[in-house]
Amino acid sequence: MGNGLGRWAIWIGVAIFGAICWGVLALSRGETVNAAWLLFAALASYAIAYRFYARFIQTKVLETDDTRATPAERLNNGRDFEPMDRRVLFGHHFAAIAGAGPLVGPVLAAQMGFFPGTVWIIFGVILAGAVQDMTTLFFSMRRNGKTLGQMAREEIGPVGGVAALIAVLSIMVILLAVLALVVVNALAESPWGAFSLLMTLPIALFMGVYLRFLRPGRVLEVSLIGVGLLLLAIVGGGYIDASQYAEAWTFSGNQITFALIAYGFIASVLPVWVLLAPRDYLSTFMKIGTIALLAVGIALTLPVMQMPRATEFAFNGQGPVFAGSLFPFVFITIACGALSGFHALVASGTTPKLIQKESQVRFIGYGAMLMESFVAVMALIAACTLDPGVYFAMNAPPAALGDTVQSASQAVQGFGFSVSPETLQQTADNVGEDSIIGRTGGAPTLAVGISAIFSGLIGGAALQAFWYHFAIMFEALFILTTVDAGTRVGRFMIQDMLGNVYRPLGRTSWLPGNILASALIVGAWGYFLYVGVNDPLGGINQLFPLFGIANQLLAAVALTVGTTILIKMGKLKYVWVTLLPLAWDASVTLTASYLKIFSSDPRMGFFAQRSAAQEALANGELYGTAQSAEDVQQIITNSTVDGILSVLFALLIIIIIADAMRVWAGLIRGRKQPVMSEAPWEESHLDVDGNARDREPVGAGSGSRGGYRSDE
Amino acid sequence: MSKEAVLAPLRYAWGYLKEISGENAYDRYLAVHARTHGDEVPMDRGEFYRWRQDEKFNNPGSRCP
Repeated sequence: MGNGLGRWAIWIGVAIFGAICWGVLALSRGETVNAAWLLFAALASYAIAYRFYARFIQTKVLETDDTRATPAERLNNGRDFEPMDRRVLFGHHFAAIAGAGPLVGPVLAAQMGFFPGTVWIIFGVILAGAVQDMTTLFFSMRRNGKTLGQMAREEIGPVGGVAALIAVLSIMVILLAVLALVVVNALAESPWGAFSLLMTLPIALFMGVYLRFLRPGRVLEVSLIGVGLLLLAIVGGGYIDASQYAEAWTFSGNQITFALIAYGFIASVLPVWVLLAPRDYLSTFMKIGTIALLAVGIALTLPVMQMPRATEFAFNGQGPVFAGSLFPFVFITIACGALSGFHALVASGTTPKLIQKESQVRFIGYGAMLMESFVAVMALIAACTLDPGVYFAMNAPPAALGDTVQSASQAVQGFGFSVSPETLQQTADNVGEDSIIGRTGGAPTLAVGISAIFSGLIGGAALQAFWYHFAIMFEALFILTTVDAGTRVGRFMIQDMLGNVYRPLGRTSWLPGNILASALIVGAWGYFLYVGVNDPLGGINQLFPLFGIANQLLAAVALTVGTTILIKMGKLKYVWVTLLPLAWDASVTLTASYLKIFSSDPRMGFFAQRSAAQEALANGELYGTAQSAEDVQQIITNSTVDGILSVLFALLIIIIIADAMRVWAGLIRGRKQPVMSEAPWEESHLDVDGNARDREPVGAGSGSRGGYRSDE
Repeated sequence: MSKEAVLAPLRYAWGYLKEISGENAYDRYLAVHARTHGDEVPMDRGEFYRWRQDEKFNNPGSRCP
C-alpha cells in the first residue's frame, strides 16, 4: 500500500493547501474573493478531518469491532433489518438527512458576510455535526436500532426521555411551519412557480398509479418519466406566465397557505402510494441531480463572491434578515450543514438497522454529514455571489422595503449597501418574475444565485428564467416532501401518545384516529404558518431563530445521550469528543434563548417586543412596520406565543442536561453501576468488506470484481 | 481506450442506480425467499412492491429539514 513516507507527504500537502485556502479567505485584501478558495478550503478540511479525526473516533473512542455482528446481520428479516451495501446505504442516509435546511440557513446567514458562515459550516461539521451523527448511529446500532427517545429514557432516565419526546414533537411543528413558509414566500404572486408546482400533483398521482398497478416497482422508469414531465411543467409555467392566464394563476400568500394546509391534511390521511411515495422518488432524484449540477456549475464557472467577508451586521446585530449578532445567531441560523439535531432521528431510526459492519459508521455517519456540509457551502456560495444590494432587497422584511423598486433601493441604502432600482427590475425580469422585492425565506435568493450559475453553464441569459423556476420547483418539491413526511411522523407520534389515553386512537390504521391526529399536527404547524405569512414584522425574521433553537435543542439531547454512554463505556478519557460540542451547543442555544426571552431590545427579545407593542397600542400609535391597530395586536399575540416557546425550549435543554449530569456524577464517583442496554456480542459471519462468506448481503457486489452485478 | 474501460464505470453507475432506487429489490427478495422458504410460493412482483411500500411508509423515519 505505498510507502508510509509518501502517504504522509500527501497529507502534509493537503494540509498546507487547505491552510493557504483558509489564509486567502481570511486575509486577502483584494476587492473580491473567488469562490474556488472557499470550495477548496472546505474539501481539504473535510479530507483531513475524515482521515484523522473520524478515524480517531472510530478506533480509539468507539472501538468499532468488525468481528461483532451488526443488528442487520443478526436480526436480518429482509425488511427493516437487512445488511445493505455501504455505498447504497450512504446514498439512502444522505438522501434522508439532506433536505431544505442546508440550503436555507446559509442563505439567511449570508447577511453577516461569507466568512462567519463558512467557518461555522466547516468547523461545526468536523467537530460537532458529523461527530453527533456518527456517534448516535453507532450507539443506536449497538442497541438494535433504538430511537433517540428510547436511548434517552434508558441511558439517562424517564425525565430525560419525556423531555426528549416533547423536544422532538415541538421541533417538528416549528420546522414544518418554517419550511411551508419558505414555499409560500417563493410561490406567492408568481404564476410561473404556482403553475409548475401545482402540476407536480397530477404527475405524482400518475406515478403512484403506474408504480402500484401498471408496472409495479419499476422505480427508475417511472422516475425518468416523472422528471421529464416535471421539466415540461416548468416550461409550461413560462407559457402561462406570458399568457392571458397569468392573472388566474396568481395567488396571494394566504391562498397558498390554506392550499398547503389542506394539502398537508389530505396527504397525511391518504395511503402513501397515492402522493407521498412517488413524490419521494421524484424529489430524491431532483435533489441529487441538482446538487451535482450545482457542484459542477460552481467548479466550472468559478464565480466571485460579491458579499463582503463580514458585514457590520455580524457585530451590531442590526441585520434586516434576522436580528442578532454573530454570536450566537450564526450558529442558530445555520443548523443543517454544521450541526443538526434532526439527523440524530435518522441516525437512530432506519440507518442503524441496515449497517453491515461496525466500522462503516465512519463512512456513513461522518461521511454523509460532510457531504451535507458541502451542500451548505455551495448554498452559501450561491447566495454570496449575488450583488449584496439585490440580496438585501430580497431578504429584508417586505414591510421595510415598500412595494416599489425605488422604495426598496432606498431601504437598501439605509442598510449601508447600494443597488439601483433599474438593477432590481432587471434582476426580476431576468428570472421571469414581476418583482423580487421582499421575497424572503431564502429559497428565491438561492434560486437567483443558482440560476446565475447554471445559466453561466448552460443556455446563457436566455435560460436564466427557466433555471430560476427550475430551482424554485426543486426547492418547493422537496420541502413539500418533507412537509408530507414530517406531518406523517408527527401524526404517528401523536397517535402513539393518544394511544395511552384511549387505546384505539393509537392504531394508525383506524380512520378516526388517523383523522384526529392528522388534524392536530396539521393544525399546529398550520397555525404557525398562517401567523408567519401574516406577521407584520416578517415571519421568517421571527420564526427562523425559534426553528434553529429547537433544532439545536435536539442536538443537545443527542450529544447528552452520547456523553452518558461514553462515560458508561469507561471512556471518560475521551468524553470531550461529545462533551465539547455539547458545551458549545448548550451555550449557543441558551445564550440565544436568553436574548430572545430577556433582551430589552424589542427587535431581539420577544417579551420586550410585546411590551413595546402594547405601549404603542395603549398610546394609539403603530408599532414597527405595522400598518394598523390589528397588526399591532397581531404582533402582541405572536411575540407572546414565540416568547413562551423560547422559555419552553430553554427549560427543556436545562432539564435534560441537569438530569444527565446527575447520572454522570453518580457514575464517575462510582456510586452507580453503569447499566448499558447494548445488545450482547455475537460473532459476525460477514467478511471485512461486508460480503457474506455463506450468504449474499443485500446489494453487495461480488467481492472479487468489487462492483455491482450489472444485470441478471 | 478499450471498450471495457468505457463500459465498466457505466455498468457500475447503472448497478448503483438500480440498487439505490430499489429497482431490483424484487430479484433480491426472490433469492432470499428461495433460500429460506423454498417450499412456499413467493409473492409476485406487484404484491411484493405494494407490501414493501406500505411497510416502508407505515414505519416512517424522518428527514432533515
